[in-house]
Amino acid sequence: MAGKNTEANRIDLLQGTLDMLILRTLRWGPQHGHGIGQAIRQTSEDLLQIERGSLYPALHRLEARGMISSEWRSSDLNRRAKYYQLTGAGEKELVAEESRWKLMVRAIGRVMRPAQREPAK
Amino acid sequence: MWRLFWRRKERDADLRDADLDEEIEFDLAAEAAQRVQAGTSRDEAERGSRRDFGNVQLLREDLREMRGWTWLERLGQDVRYGVRTLRKNPLFAAMAVLSLALGIGSATAIYSVMDAVLFRALPVSDPGELVILNWRAIKPPASGFTQPAGIDSVDGSVYNGPGGDRLSPDFPWPFFASLRDGNDVFSTVFAYKDAGQLTVSVQGQAELGGVEFVSGNFFEALGINPAAGRLIYDSDNLAGATGVAVLSYGYWRDRFAGDAAAVGRTIRIGGVPFTICGVAAPEFFGIAPGSAPAIYLPVGTRPKVMAFSVGEKISLFTDAHFYWTDMMGRLRPGITMARAERETDARFRQFVIDHGANGSRADFPSLWLEAGGSGLDSLRRQYSKPLYVLMYMVGFILAIACANIANLLLARAAARRREMAVRLSLGAGRARVLRQLLTESLLLALPGGVLGLAIAAAGSRFLIWLLAGGSADFHLRPTLDWHVAAFAFGVAMATGILFGLAPAFEATRVDAAPALKGSRDGAERVRGIGLKRILAVAQIALSSLLVLGAVLFVRTLANIHAIELGFEAKNVLTFSLNAGKAGYKGAELNAFYNRIEARLRALRGVSGAAASAAPLARRFYRTPAVFPGNRKGLAGWNSVGSTFFETMGIPIILGRALSSHDVKGAAPVAVVNEAFAKAYFPGRNPVGEHMGILDGPIDVTIVGVSANAREALKEPFSPFVYISYNQIPAPEWRGMDFEIRTSAAPLALAADIQRAMHEAAPDVPLGNVATQAARIEGSLTQERTFAQLCTAFAVLALTIACIGLYGSMAYAVSRRTGEIGIRMALGAQGGSVVWMVMREVLTLTVAGLAVGVLCARGVFPAVKSFLFGVRFGDPVVMGWAVGLLIVSTLAAGYAPARRAARVDPVKALRHE
Repeated sequence: MAGKNTEANRIDLLQGTLDMLILRTLRWGPQHGHGIGQAIRQTSEDLLQIERGSLYPALHRLEARGMISSEWRSSDLNRRAKYYQLTGAGEKELVAEESRWKLMVRAIGRVMRPAQREPAK
Repeated sequence: MWRLFWRRKERDADLRDADLDEEIEFDLAAEAAQRVQAGTSRDEAERGSRRDFGNVQLLREDLREMRGWTWLERLGQDVRYGVRTLRKNPLFAAMAVLSLALGIGSATAIYSVMDAVLFRALPVSDPGELVILNWRAIKPPASGFTQPAGIDSVDGSVYNGPGGDRLSPDFPWPFFASLRDGNDVFSTVFAYKDAGQLTVSVQGQAELGGVEFVSGNFFEALGINPAAGRLIYDSDNLAGATGVAVLSYGYWRDRFAGDAAAVGRTIRIGGVPFTICGVAAPEFFGIAPGSAPAIYLPVGTRPKVMAFSVGEKISLFTDAHFYWTDMMGRLRPGITMARAERETDARFRQFVIDHGANGSRADFPSLWLEAGGSGLDSLRRQYSKPLYVLMYMVGFILAIACANIANLLLARAAARRREMAVRLSLGAGRARVLRQLLTESLLLALPGGVLGLAIAAAGSRFLIWLLAGGSADFHLRPTLDWHVAAFAFGVAMATGILFGLAPAFEATRVDAAPALKGSRDGAERVRGIGLKRILAVAQIALSSLLVLGAVLFVRTLANIHAIELGFEAKNVLTFSLNAGKAGYKGAELNAFYNRIEARLRALRGVSGAAASAAPLARRFYRTPAVFPGNRKGLAGWNSVGSTFFETMGIPIILGRALSSHDVKGAAPVAVVNEAFAKAYFPGRNPVGEHMGILDGPIDVTIVGVSANAREALKEPFSPFVYISYNQIPAPEWRGMDFEIRTSAAPLALAADIQRAMHEAAPDVPLGNVATQAARIEGSLTQERTFAQLCTAFAVLALTIACIGLYGSMAYAVSRRTGEIGIRMALGAQGGSVVWMVMREVLTLTVAGLAVGVLCARGVFPAVKSFLFGVRFGDPVVMGWAVGLLIVSTLAAGYAPARRAARVDPVKALRHE
């Protein structure tokens, strides 16, 4: 049971962050699901591998919440692809998420290294 | 319309599913393209892309879950899938629905009727406050005739309570008056007295109608409003008040076509004129469920209408020792029934002592209260026990039906292990599979419930018809109220959910690997089989209980029919006439009855006719008999016409029969039966002996001995005296029964007789026209009802149980196909395979029978009073019950056994 619980926590944590990462990625312009996954992987220098099982539900959820919108467009692969795009609400959400994230990083940093007043830049 | 909507919804969903698939496909393609770019071969890239993607199916399900509409779509999908699987197995579906419907339907029907008879509140205001007053006297000493202290006579009903106590709701009027005029526990006390059927003439047309006498505060206390005119007031009971009558709504509608002008008209009741003053509210059917009086009269007119002796007429409202009036009270707010009983009892005891009762205090009757909210309890007393027995039987049926469903669903779930395993391994969530199975169970439960309600509606009408047993004034409205309906539906749903889920849990706990491999015994759990066996044994046990009951009741009926009547019941028509109620008095009465006898005998097709005070085999009266030397005895008696013995075919063994010369003024004579002669004149010829009988006592000479004839069907022959009705004054309050022997079918003559009677006496209505045989049958209603119902239930139970047994044996055989195949490959013959299966059936049956018989032994005392001439261990009864059960279960098991014997070992083993 304990194992299950921590797993659930990790997913929760990841979900919030994943949304932020997706929104952040879409700031560069419309992109399809696979492209988003690749972008996150590349910018994180392969540290973050997003599972499709998490990515697509996150995309659909964000779309349902109106953070992103989608549209079918032709792609470079000669077939239609579903392109996601940031909405106004998504922009605002991204700003909010980002500041929340910064706050959290700072808080966690203080807890982990209480000696230093500010985490090294 | 719904279909169209559904289609559109479906199309939308399909479109969205297509989108989803395309999105996933694109991802796979993009990934593969990327890998190709990185230098992998095309094939390798595609395979890798797919491998690294993860569970496509699960993702698809997850994404679908997220859509708002999905639960409905999913439900539609589940329902469609469920219907399809059920259609593939129509026998299973039909059996499950039918078992459920029968179980629920019969339970609801019985409950509805019980509710109407036993529990439903009277349609009056605040029925919960009403209490019925009764008295109880301890068991009289064995000698018999003593009345409880202080009670001279009771005009009403005294019945035996548990432990031989005597109970009665009848009180003397002065006690009622004293309570009415002042007490601390009741806000109001009112009185009523059922007068039974009286002659009611409307514009010269005489007919019988139910009459109830009520005190002036009756309607007001009950909170009944008039539908027309006014109801009865206190002033209507004053001496000298003009007689008024209140009609029941039903009677007003039937007899006066609901005409408002009926109020103010004059009708004659028992020959006395009354003015109709009003009509009671439609919902008020009287205070006894099941019997609805047609007319309410002020109780003060009772002496005028009913024929009482002069002394009784005077003392009706003053005699403290004459118990006759029924009463109810309304509890004051805050007073408990216990407190009211305590205080009223003290008052009643004081009343008895004050009126000069002597004897030990323990002999005094004590007062007790009974909740009156559901009306008088005569109906309850009469039917509650049979209804409870019925309820148990129906409960058994419901249990058997549920066990059946459980069994069927268990077997099905086990048969679908493979399917479940496939679905689970393809990534379906466990919850998803459970939901699917649940939907399927509900698909069974819903039609089961609906069909059950239909059965309930028809069944309750049928039951009331059975309970009424041909009595015309039995009014119960067979309504299924919504509580009962909801309850039935709840049971249907709960059964579906419970028995659908339990196997579903079992099924989804499948260990996918062995189940997929198709091995028949790999993942099989012994526990499941054990549960099925227990269910089967329980079903057989319950069935054997019902079968045993049915055999007992059928046997009882047969025993009663086999009773030697002692008279010839065939081709006898009977009816009753009450000239007293039509106003004939004293000597006119006997003259009238003589005239009728003569008139009947003159009719074509009539070979004999006689009057009797009590109808044969239905009712009789008792009298003490005093012999010379002050020897005392007890005998039944009947006063009959001179041709009675000849008409009824009762042979005279010694001496002579009564004759037309035995009239008033001639020496009083009597004919006694054989049992009488044997009891009081053992070894002697009683002809010529004298004895005193009846209250007088009248000194009579015995002139003959007749063969024994039944006076009460289920009782042994007892000493009996016949006297000529012409030698005693005819009672005014009681009519005479006429027996007419016909040469052809008696009912063919009924119209002629009715016409003749109408000519002879237009003002005296004819009652209870029936053949003697029908009258006897009529008295057996309860026995017959039980035999029929119990037989029906037993057949039902046995059928359902056999279906269940068939199902589980068929399942067991299919499960053991591999094993049977091996046995046959090793040389087992078809016969030994059949025996192998049948042995299992037999084991289950014997186990069930053993449990059933043990249970039956336990409950036997509860139904003993309904039986006649059978013992529990009766070998014939036992033989029939056991035989029936074994034959039916073996029949149920034979088809699967045959199938087992036809197993092709090659096929069976290849499958392994």
